Amino acid sequence: MTESDKKINITENDKPKIGIYVCHCGVNIGGVVSVPDLVEYAKTLTDVTVGHDYKFLCSDVGQKMIKEDIEAGLINRVVVAACSPRMHEPTFRITCKEAGLNQFLFEMANIREHSTWVHMKEPEGAYEVAKDLIRLAIAKARELEPLTVQKVNVEPTSLIIGAGITGMNAALNLSSAGYKVYLVERSATIGGHMAQLDKTFPTMDCSSCILTPKMSEISRDKNIELLTYSEVTEVTGYVGNFEVTIKKKPHYVDQEKCNGCGICVDPCPITVANEFDLGLSTRKAIYVPFPQAIPSQYTIDMDSCVECGICARETVCEPGAIKYDDKPEYFTVKVGTIIVATGYDEYDPSELKQYGYGKYPNVITGLQMERLLSSFGPVLGKPVKPSDLKDPHSIAFLQCVGSRNFREGGNKYCSRVCCMYATKQARQYKEKHPDADIYIFYMDIRAFGKGYEEFYESAGRDYGINYVRGRIAEVRENPLNHNIIIRAEDTLLQQPIELEVELFILSTGIEPRADSDSITNLLRIQKSADGFFLEAHPKLRPVDTLTEGIFIAGVSQGPKDIPDSVAQAKGAAASAIALMAKGEVEIEPFFAVVHSDRCSGCGMCIENCAYGALELVDDRRFGTIASINKALCKGCGACSGNCRCSAIDIIGFSSEQLYSMITKRE
Amino acid sequence: MSDNVEKYIKRKVYKSTNSRIAQKFVDAGLEKLRACINCGTCTGGCPSGRRTAYRTRSVLRRALTGDESVLEDIGIWFCSTCYTCYERCPRGIPVTDMIIKLRNIAVEEGHILDPHFVLANKVFYVTGHGVPANGEGNQKWRDLRESYGLPPLPPTVHMHPEAVKECQELMKSVGFRDLLDKIEKQKEKEKLEAEKAEANKIEDKKKEKEKK
Amino acid sequence: MSKNSKWKYGFFLGCVAPNRYPMIEASIRAVFDHLGAEILELEGASCCPAPGVFRAFHIPTWLVIAARNLTIAEELGIDVVTGCNGCYGTLRDAWVELNHEPELKKMINEHLAKIGREFKGSIEPKHVVQVLYQDLGIEYLRGFVKHKFKDLKVAVHYGCHIIKPSDKRPWGGEYEDPTFLDEIIEITGAKSINYKDKFQCCGAGGAVRTAVKEISADFSREKLENIRDAGADIIIDCCPFCHLQLDLGQMEANNFYKDIIGEPYKIPVIYVTQLLGLAFGIDPNLLGLMKNHDLQQVPPFISLEPFLEKVKNQLT
Ligand SMILES: Cc1cc2nc3c(=O)[nH]c(=O)nc-3n(C[C@H](O)[C@H](O)[C@H](O)COP(=O)(O)OP(=O)(O)OC[C@H]3O[C@@H](n4cnc5c(N)ncnc54)[C@H](O)[C@@H]3O)c2cc1C
Ligand code: SF4
Ligand code: SF4
Ligand code: SF4
Ligand code: SF4
Repeated sequence: MTESDKKINITENDKPKIGIYVCHCGVNIGGVVSVPDLVEYAKTLTDVTVGHDYKFLCSDVGQKMIKEDIEAGLINRVVVAACSPRMHEPTFRITCKEAGLNQFLFEMANIREHSTWVHMKEPEGAYEVAKDLIRLAIAKARELEPLTVQKVNVEPTSLIIGAGITGMNAALNLSSAGYKVYLVERSATIGGHMAQLDKTFPTMDCSSCILTPKMSEISRDKNIELLTYSEVTEVTGYVGNFEVTIKKKPHYVDQEKCNGCGICVDPCPITVANEFDLGLSTRKAIYVPFPQAIPSQYTIDMDSCVECGICARETVCEPGAIKYDDKPEYFTVKVGTIIVATGYDEYDPSELKQYGYGKYPNVITGLQMERLLSSFGPVLGKPVKPSDLKDPHSIAFLQCVGSRNFREGGNKYCSRVCCMYATKQARQYKEKHPDADIYIFYMDIRAFGKGYEEFYESAGRDYGINYVRGRIAEVRENPLNHNIIIRAEDTLLQQPIELEVELFILSTGIEPRADSDSITNLLRIQKSADGFFLEAHPKLRPVDTLTEGIFIAGVSQGPKDIPDSVAQAKGAAASAIALMAKGEVEIEPFFAVVHSDRCSGCGMCIENCAYGALELVDDRRFGTIASINKALCKGCGACSGNCRCSAIDIIGFSSEQLYSMITKRE
Repeated sequence: MSDNVEKYIKRKVYKSTNSRIAQKFVDAGLEKLRACINCGTCTGGCPSGRRTAYRTRSVLRRALTGDESVLEDIGIWFCSTCYTCYERCPRGIPVTDMIIKLRNIAVEEGHILDPHFVLANKVFYVTGHGVPANGEGNQKWRDLRESYGLPPLPPTVHMHPEAVKECQELMKSVGFRDLLDKIEKQKEKEKLEAEKAEANKIEDKKKEKEKK
Repeated sequence: MSKNSKWKYGFFLGCVAPNRYPMIEASIRAVFDHLGAEILELEGASCCPAPGVFRAFHIPTWLVIAARNLTIAEELGIDVVTGCNGCYGTLRDAWVELNHEPELKKMINEHLAKIGREFKGSIEPKHVVQVLYQDLGIEYLRGFVKHKFKDLKVAVHYGCHIIKPSDKRPWGGEYEDPTFLDEIIEITGAKSINYKDKFQCCGAGGAVRTAVKEISADFSREKLENIRDAGADIIIDCCPFCHLQLDLGQMEANNFYKDIIGEPYKIPVIYVTQLLGLAFGIDPNLLGLMKNHDLQQVPPFISLEPFLEKVKNQLT
């Protein structure tokens, strides 16, 4: 027994006394339907003893109203007709609990999302729907039974998937609070996209200068177990007690032995495009992604390697680290919380053929420009046009490439970083080439962050960058010199313009990872319509998911810049800490129960359970019957719905309760 | 009034989008245009805008803001319906279809160029072809057909007078005949008025001369 | 050729091909016959009606007349083929719209009922090039090639309405840079060359030519300039109206813009089936490639002689 039944004891014989409270939600509900009429209607239903309406029931005053009725013994069941239970079910449960009523004797009718919002334009229909929903909730409330919450221990360890700037920050925060972290990164180095950037807006600090120290901090941290070149392959369990299987991919170079001398690189005969430089440079089959990579040990890219054996020669690799028969390793860890920080992919503009990417050499993307500007990039920070490797005298940027595009193949959302990075890159180039002509073609400039508008203003005033309001319609190549001829409308002049530039940069946007479904399947979390991971509430629970114990942060949740990513990293870490610091969590007692007397032992439920929570056992009285492991059951109902003998019920959603909702007409 | 007032004071009143023509737009399904972000992709790639004063975006925006003068703007007849803008609009607005609907509204309001009117009224309605080969002036086209081993007239409406009737029946049924008649009357009236105005001018000039 | 062909189409002529450029009609008939694709006449068909003019005047008129034309083929139970981009645009757009909007279809059928017709939507309107590429297929065509052209540089002009609007066309949504017509042409050994703004409009459509010829001629001038710059021997097109604009319009451009173009343009313009037919070994007379010198003021206005001269030796 826990906190429930503190004052009021409800037994099966107690006649239900239902209190109905209908919320106006300002004008959200009250502006569409008559709330007092709804209360009057509800009061006519069987067992309803009290009915009230209020402007904002979730407020202190509103809650007090409910508490007083409970404490006065007027009611022993509470029904609130208001917003979504996702929003305020927890609030009112606490209200009940504080007044001494078992919190599961509460039921909510969502007459906002399910009625007055969707049927705003048909108030009469909305009223009928609201009435129905209230009648349903009351019918169920009548059948409610007091339940006890379960408590489970929480493993004080966290798993972080993705070691970009977001995952790294979250890891450091968790570690400094004393928790152990498994930081899983699938590429051969940590750092993510930030490692590819040169400088960062709006302060223009050099990306490496702020990133590299963090990277080495990670590698030194005793609480952080860094697992690069690794992937999560399986997650089972539940909040506080996740079992995670991790696959360490083979490096084909013994990571213990390799001392990072790099002597193997020159002799390797295989040269391929370097993905870190987005194809602007090459690397060998044996490589580290970039000089400051962490860890600094080498990896063989087996897709390209021809196993010629050169690198394995003693004269080449002195420590004898080359290991062609390296195998993947799998191992399992137990963690209490999980943070997803898998970041983003850059939008691929090849499909927008009107912009000539992949066809004309002097058309590049924003991330490629970032590599060209980088002092350790392929041209050591002196951007050139790919056609002849000379400095461009004129450059045009096109904003919103792949973003804010409602056509098929485009993303509807704003990518939130490209306005600023184009401005940054333009300024950087102007600093070195004051005579260059630079044009930024935009629809709107979004400079909303701290210091951003000032950064943008200075780009025009101090650097003479030309902002042209108009989205480029198409480009052509001048066959004589590979220059790019741009066609657009200067919408502020209402004139079509044609402009020839030497380098054309597509400010490509940010996209969800192409393989993000593997994460949603693994963790059973959701994606929003834009394809990024879905937060539990866009305002109030921005880093939580609907699966307890799993958090999201950084660009994997939606486009954002580094400051916002880091803020979310800290938010996710704090949420994970809050959960782990308590040492135990309450889980809702909504699992399946087997009515042993009805179960025929057919075993169908076992096939239907996706969580492996059911098994067949031998019972002394009933023979072979199904039995449930509460720790694994998620209360999804797949077993109950398919049981031919009606032998399984989900607590809180029992057949009786649901039948009465459907059938009870008054 | 001072001349300078006339010359320099240009007050512009921004009309609401609820004007009569804007309403016609909405009725024609043009409300999709409200999603336009005025990015200029349509104008920027328009092959007609490259050589004429026709501005795709501006024309649609004028219509949307209730500027009725757009219906008389000859520019709307310079769109070659190449569909380039239609394909590229980031808001998925079927731009070319919008221009076509705008032209429909213009015609309904009587704004149609003479050669277009003749083509509809005297050629298409009468023969069922937009470019016919029958009738007196077209002997050489029939000869040309024969020179390539084809019959002098194709097996189209040209060989089937009853088919021409069918087409005319349909055009009456959908209201095209009435529309053409309405425009014809209007055009005649305009012509008469123009002639009258011209005559008056000459008259006035004569009088002035006589005075002098 | 067999009259029980698996390929059978109702030939929608339109206006410009039969009544101004009959060599196009002749060459389509000759090539289809040669390939064993049967053509039936759509007796009593009218103007499609032209999308740029009549559609722009009065959409219901455009739709109901287009629907009537389609019903003629529906009575024969066969797909329609047309050699004209404009007709294709009208018939296909109308077909898609009527099939997707039941209300519209009902309304149009109420009008059609008055002349005893009904639009069902049972047959598909196709372009000659679509039939060649998708129904017959490149490999099938290749089997017919008898003569291969050497050193023949071709500027391919697609025109607009065969490609766009792409959501109502059969090319899988491709609209910026399709290649189906180039692929067909290159089986003859001719080389399709790249030229600036290859997919630009010829300028004839959309009622522009009727409104102000100088504007259409300026569209053509820009195209011709780019084509000449790229060093093309001939222009190949797949639409009689583009054909008219590039042939007759070439004369007009030479006239209106003589001050800015330097040398007058004289690039032969040839319809796709004329070129295919030659490669298949069909008599040039049947393909309408030989000019009738008795008639005055008739097309082709730009002489085909340089082209015929160039390929003469390759045809034996
Ligand atoms: C051209 C360009 C310029 C920019 N310039 C700036 C700037 O100047 N200032 C600024 O504030 N922001 C800038 N940004 C934005 C910045 O890149 C992001 O805000 C930041 O990198 C987000 O970090 P992240 O850790 O969330 O994601 P990422 O950097 O993408 O990191 C995610 C990590 O997760 C790993 N991962 C992915 N999937 C898995 C998996 N399944 N298992 C294991 N690991 C996985 C990846 O390998 C990667 O290391 C720029 C963006 C672009 C495109
Ligand atoms: S074995 Fe592979 S990695 Fe080593 S040198 Fe040869 S190709 Fe390069
Ligand atoms: S940040 Fe700027 S460039 Fe990027 S999508 Fe948003 S508006 Fe477009
Ligand atoms: S392309 Fe579309 S969104 Fe852009 S201005 Fe034209 S109609 Fe508006
Ligand atoms: S369809 Fe008309 S408005 Fe659009 S690009 Fe072509 S010519 Fe211009």
